[in-house]
Amino acid sequence: MDITPVIVVHGGAWAIPDDLAESSKSGVKSAAKCGFSVLANGGSAVNAVECAVQMLEDNNVFDAGHGAVLNAEGDVELDAIIMDGRNLAVGAVSCIKNIANPVKFARTVMEKTPHVMLTGAGANKFAETMNIKQVPREELVTELALKEWEQYQKYQQSVTSLFNSEQMHDTVGAVAIDSEGNVACATSTGGITNKMVGRVGDSPIIGSGAYADNFTGAVSTTGHGESIMKVTLARLVLFNMEKGETRQDAADHALDYMKNKVHGRGGLITVCKTGEWAASFTTKRMAWASVKNNILTFGLNPGENFHEAIDT
Amino acid sequence: MKPVIVVHGGAGAILQKYAEGYRSGVKRAALRGYDILRQGGDAITAVEEAVVVLEDDPHFNAGHGSVLNEEGEVEMDAIIMDGKDLSSGAVSAVRCIANPIKLARLVMEKTDHMLLTGNGAALFAKSQGIPEIPGEKLISERSRERWKKNLLSSSTQKGFGTVGAVAVDSQGNVASATSTGGITNKMVGRVGDTACIGSGGYADNNSGAVSTTGHGESIMKVTLARLILHYMEQGMSVEEAADAGLNYMKTRVDDSGGVIVVNSAGEWTAKFSTNQMSWAAIKDDNLNCGIYLGENEIIPISENL
Repeated sequence: MDITPVIVVHGGAWAIPDDLAESSKSGVKSAAKCGFSVLANGGSAVNAVECAVQMLEDNNVFDAGHGAVLNAEGDVELDAIIMDGRNLAVGAVSCIKNIANPVKFARTVMEKTPHVMLTGAGANKFAETMNIKQVPREELVTELALKEWEQYQKYQQSVTSLFNSEQMHDTVGAVAIDSEGNVACATSTGGITNKMVGRVGDSPIIGSGAYADNFTGAVSTTGHGESIMKVTLARLVLFNMEKGETRQDAADHALDYMKNKVHGRGGLITVCKTGEWAASFTTKRMAWASVKNNILTFGLNPGENFHEAIDT
Repeated sequence: MKPVIVVHGGAGAILQKYAEGYRSGVKRAALRGYDILRQGGDAITAVEEAVVVLEDDPHFNAGHGSVLNEEGEVEMDAIIMDGKDLSSGAVSAVRCIANPIKLARLVMEKTDHMLLTGNGAALFAKSQGIPEIPGEKLISERSRERWKKNLLSSSTQKGFGTVGAVAVDSQGNVASATSTGGITNKMVGRVGDTACIGSGGYADNNSGAVSTTGHGESIMKVTLARLILHYMEQGMSVEEAADAGLNYMKTRVDDSGGVIVVNSAGEWTAKFSTNQMSWAAIKDDNLNCGIYLGENEIIPISENL
């Protein structure tokens, strides 16, 4: 099978303020190019999504790895997942601390343990035995995250009301299909500001934050985590595709269902087994970018579809 | 609407000498849940209370009787879900509490979140006045023996188990609950399918409720609970959907397990691709119960109460 490789990335669905618009756009564009270069060199879809998400984690603009938001105690607790559509292999970590690249760690869980998911202190202990670099909390905390946290502490709003105002960062992710027709996905997040200690959102939950299956396609989601979990959003998109819907309809219908059924908003990126892809959201904005046939496509506001040729 | 409850005590090999203990455990749990439903209680309370009975019974791998992780400690996962509005609560890797399912319900009702893990879950339990008990108290003689045996032979015995319940109440609302100690010798911090919505459990009034058991990692890979309800949405009966879900898990990731399912019309099934699964169900004042393939003992519940 000869498939044209594709990568799609997102930097979170929310009301991205104007002063973060440009940096969000350039962040997802770079990550998409990074993932595409892996694919263009014959690399696997799993490697491509890992590479792209790692780049987003390293970017302070996004709520994952560096730049993650703070929980109720002012601490950083991170969630991530990675999945290989070839054999449904998956690795996830929840509520881990002091790790700059949770997606790499999730991949280690996938490849070096008999388990799918590790959490909290146990996960951190395993990271030590695998020589995964631990960084001080301060290294992950940005000025912006701290400012947001202080504001939320002051006003003591509930997480739900905060999210519904869409004033929340959220999650990064990537989906890809490689030249052999294998799909993969990865999602990583710092969660939501002022979350309870130990709160785990949708990102590391298989079928909610992500899912990949060569028989249908791959999905990475973003938005109000609790709503995404209630409808197992990633799996729902793929169920819609299995029923014969196009990837765009599958994505839009799943997001509509989430809005109507549990009043939650969000966004998602998806690639199906034939290499067609979609980026869809019901929030005010979502930064996303995609590369196929050396054409970079990206957007931030609803309906946007900018194209750029990339050098190879 | 005639209320229905179905419970399971885990899929996997059940030694003959423990069979009666399993049988009476799942019967008691089903009766407890049914009692609530018959008095007009809701499905979510019925599944919670049924699972509490199983967590308290040391025969089962949940709460008291949980298997031990690689360090000889108990870490538990649980989830509860209400099909009325898709609200759900779950806990993962919690220690030193008797009834994780009760904590899961508190997460659902008292927080903005759906899943709390590890130390954070413990902090929340404390704030809700849930007593902390010594970890030792959850460990049965059998769990300790099994753990020691595993250490010696460095075997990869999976020690399946998980308990769960699904129900439909007189209002037609469905609910599910699942609770487990996981797998023997698991890594510290391992979270299985049970705490993950769509894998260990799912409930939606528009389709039905499912609780799963078996090798957690395989269940997660196919999001078994959600998969079965997807099949039902496509028009399959509860039996067909349960079989199709288990078959898919067999063919796609080569593993076996068990499920209990109820739909909002009150049709139910208990299916497994393992050799055994202890289960019990009550509908129309008849209790059905089994452990082995094809076994279905039917007892009018007047004899049981």
